[in-house]
Amino acid sequence: MLVLFETAAGYAVFKVLDEKKLQEVDSLWREFETPEKANKIVKLKHFEKFQDTTEALAASTALVEGKLSKNLKKILKKIVAKDAHEQLAIADAKLGGVIKDKLNLSCIHSPMVTELMRGIRSQIEGLITGLPSREMAAMCLGLAHSLSRYKLKFSPDKVDTMIVQAISLLDDLDKELNNYIMRCREWYGWHFPELGKIVTDNLTYCKCVRKVGDRRNFSTSDLSEVLPEEIEDDVKAAAEISMGTEVSEEDINNILHLCDQVIEISQYRTQLYDYLKNRMMAIAPNLTVMVGELVGARLIAHAGSLLNLAKHPASTVQILGAEKALFRALKTKRDTPKFGLIYHASLVGQTAAKNKGKISRMLAAKTALTIRYDALGEDSSAEMGAENRLKVETRLRHLEEKGIRRISGTGKALARADKYQHRSEVKVYDPSGDSTLPAVPKKRKIEEVEEEETQVTVKAKKIKVEIKEEADVEEGELVKKKKKKKEKKQRAEEEAALAEEPSTSTAVESTEKKKKKKKIKVEQED
Amino acid sequence: MRPGFSPRGGRGGFGDRGGGRGGFRGGRGGGFKSPGGSDGGFRGRGGGGGFRGRGGPGRGGRGGGGRGGRGGFKGGKKVTVEPHRHEGVFICRGKEDALVTKNLVPGESVYGEKRISVEDGELKVEYRAWNPFRSKLAAAILGGIDQIHIKPGAKVLYLGAASGTTVSHVSDIVGLDGLVYAVEFSHRSGRDLINVAKKRTNIIPVIEDARHPHKYRMLIGMVDVIFADVAQPDQSRIVALNAHNFLKNGGHFVISIKANCIDSTAAPEAVFASEVKKMQQENMKPQEQLTLEPYERDHAVVVGIYRPPPKQKK
Repeated sequence: MLVLFETAAGYAVFKVLDEKKLQEVDSLWREFETPEKANKIVKLKHFEKFQDTTEALAASTALVEGKLSKNLKKILKKIVAKDAHEQLAIADAKLGGVIKDKLNLSCIHSPMVTELMRGIRSQIEGLITGLPSREMAAMCLGLAHSLSRYKLKFSPDKVDTMIVQAISLLDDLDKELNNYIMRCREWYGWHFPELGKIVTDNLTYCKCVRKVGDRRNFSTSDLSEVLPEEIEDDVKAAAEISMGTEVSEEDINNILHLCDQVIEISQYRTQLYDYLKNRMMAIAPNLTVMVGELVGARLIAHAGSLLNLAKHPASTVQILGAEKALFRALKTKRDTPKFGLIYHASLVGQTAAKNKGKISRMLAAKTALTIRYDALGEDSSAEMGAENRLKVETRLRHLEEKGIRRISGTGKALARADKYQHRSEVKVYDPSGDSTLPAVPKKRKIEEVEEEETQVTVKAKKIKVEIKEEADVEEGELVKKKKKKKEKKQRAEEEAALAEEPSTSTAVESTEKKKKKKKIKVEQED
Repeated sequence: MRPGFSPRGGRGGFGDRGGGRGGFRGGRGGGFKSPGGSDGGFRGRGGGGGFRGRGGPGRGGRGGGGRGGRGGFKGGKKVTVEPHRHEGVFICRGKEDALVTKNLVPGESVYGEKRISVEDGELKVEYRAWNPFRSKLAAAILGGIDQIHIKPGAKVLYLGAASGTTVSHVSDIVGLDGLVYAVEFSHRSGRDLINVAKKRTNIIPVIEDARHPHKYRMLIGMVDVIFADVAQPDQSRIVALNAHNFLKNGGHFVISIKANCIDSTAAPEAVFASEVKKMQQENMKPQEQLTLEPYERDHAVVVGIYRPPPKQKK
């Protein structure tokens, strides 16, 4: 009788040497107490080792489903060729049925077989020579992990560790890039300082330097791909009259190396950003639609993993990233922050400051739903995210319109807009409303005096014109007195006219000014 | 990885301080005291990492990871760890005692439990606290079970592994010489189990139904102990099938029985008795039975031997 025994390392076929002992099922275990005894009762006939983990995985999945794997079929065919008359003891009755159908090999499965299997399993190391136990254990572990992953439909492009790492790398790159660029500017600025002020964009600066190198080559080199025309002319002009020092060939080489690095890192950064966008779309499409790739990636990185993020309630998602402010506010019993990382989402950014809080809360609520859908849902389409975004956008529009339309009353009536009043935090007491009697302030400000003077000259001109008209009629002091009187009359008339206007601050000020002028006139004439 | 979102008493923010690592340095053991309760501020918080006032530069034992507030322990207090009667299990003595196991992967916390670092001369040894309210095995040990049979170097078949919380402690006990075959059918828990198994090489995850041991016969060798926490009405049959396939002669089994799960109408004692009877019919000899009060209600743990060697008649 043959025995088919599957292990993690491969298929083993044993031949039973002493079939009589198999009859006593209960004492069969004695035969497997030691490796020597075990070797007397069964002998390893053939051991088919798995070549690699994929083969092992295929074999084990077939085994779980009770089917014949290709490998197994091959082995069994060999057996059929040699020992067709032998019975095959197998552990799984279903598999036995399949083997019988396909290969016409009679199989048995009975309590005796179970006992036999137990015995073989307990002495497996002794029976299968040439297979160290370490290797067996390693294969076992590897096979278990790959089988579990296969079962759980583990797909490598749904791993959110990539996102966490990518966003951290992006931040690191930005810091490094900034440092290098600063260094490059400073270093090259020693040789050609004016270039730093003319070319503001960092990458263009480095490309420029890379192309030209020493300041002398500026006039000869062509910078049309790097710089626009006017700037190129400016640069060339500045190069002629630059006050930087000369530098040697070696120094320039080093600077050029640095520029190379900067350009390379910039390129890599753009590449990494594209990669991040792709991964975000693959892993969490709904979240990406709601808040954008960068904010989504930061949220995932902050929480640690997409599943962790999904466990947070919407209120936490709203203030994720503002923990310092949150706990400080909680401790000192002040107002808690209204937004954390979600502040940088486009929907929050495009609203007015007073609506940001409301939008951040609405967005966080819908975003939490999309996160859970992405983390725990089965399919990966972005429809749900798009719907939710639409809802938030509609609400945003309603919020903006609410200030224009009245809630109660007819729908067509528009609320009156408040008159513009500069609201500074320092509230100053406005004494103008205290009494309606004209107040004459004693101190005057410089601007008022100037204004008065200009007004006075204007007035003076007007009065002179009038006086000329009347000069024909009267002469001397009488004329002057009349002028005074007339001025006074005019003033009084104007004042009266002004007083009739609705009292606004400006009007009040102008009356005040008139009063002041009156006083000046009085003083002048005295 | 960022830990769960809960405030740390007395500290300004979430900076990665001191030995801050993936391990979550635990909240307060006894629960969260509401803010503003005690002396106007968060200073008087028990177990809040022992950080009296802010700005104190690295006070008391910050270096050793995970010494922040554990169940009544204030951070930085001296504790002693002594071995338990069971091999591989330890007791941590301080103001309050705790059951701990030696961490196989120092610096990592599996499910947010507190870690305790102890200096043993030159060596730094890390222990993980074992919560008896979450783990039936810990509850049994604290209840005073005679033998758990899970010892360093043992091979354990763990049925009903769930997310791997107790499995990690079993893995700590058996050490690198032993093996733990963790069987769990649920996919969600299976994912967490696989993550635990990635860090600990002596755990072999099997995402299969324990009712059909022949399906995972390729992965498992003979084991010394079967621990079953499946909470199924036919769990005796499940354990028996697995024992027939994988448990060595003279091997032991530890089964946790939930009376509600087997039969919610019968009295718990009756349920336990019927389960014991079913085991005896399958050549599994029960040796002791223990209820898990005060940690669980209507739960019992049965320890027994499978195919005991025949008594030598002298």
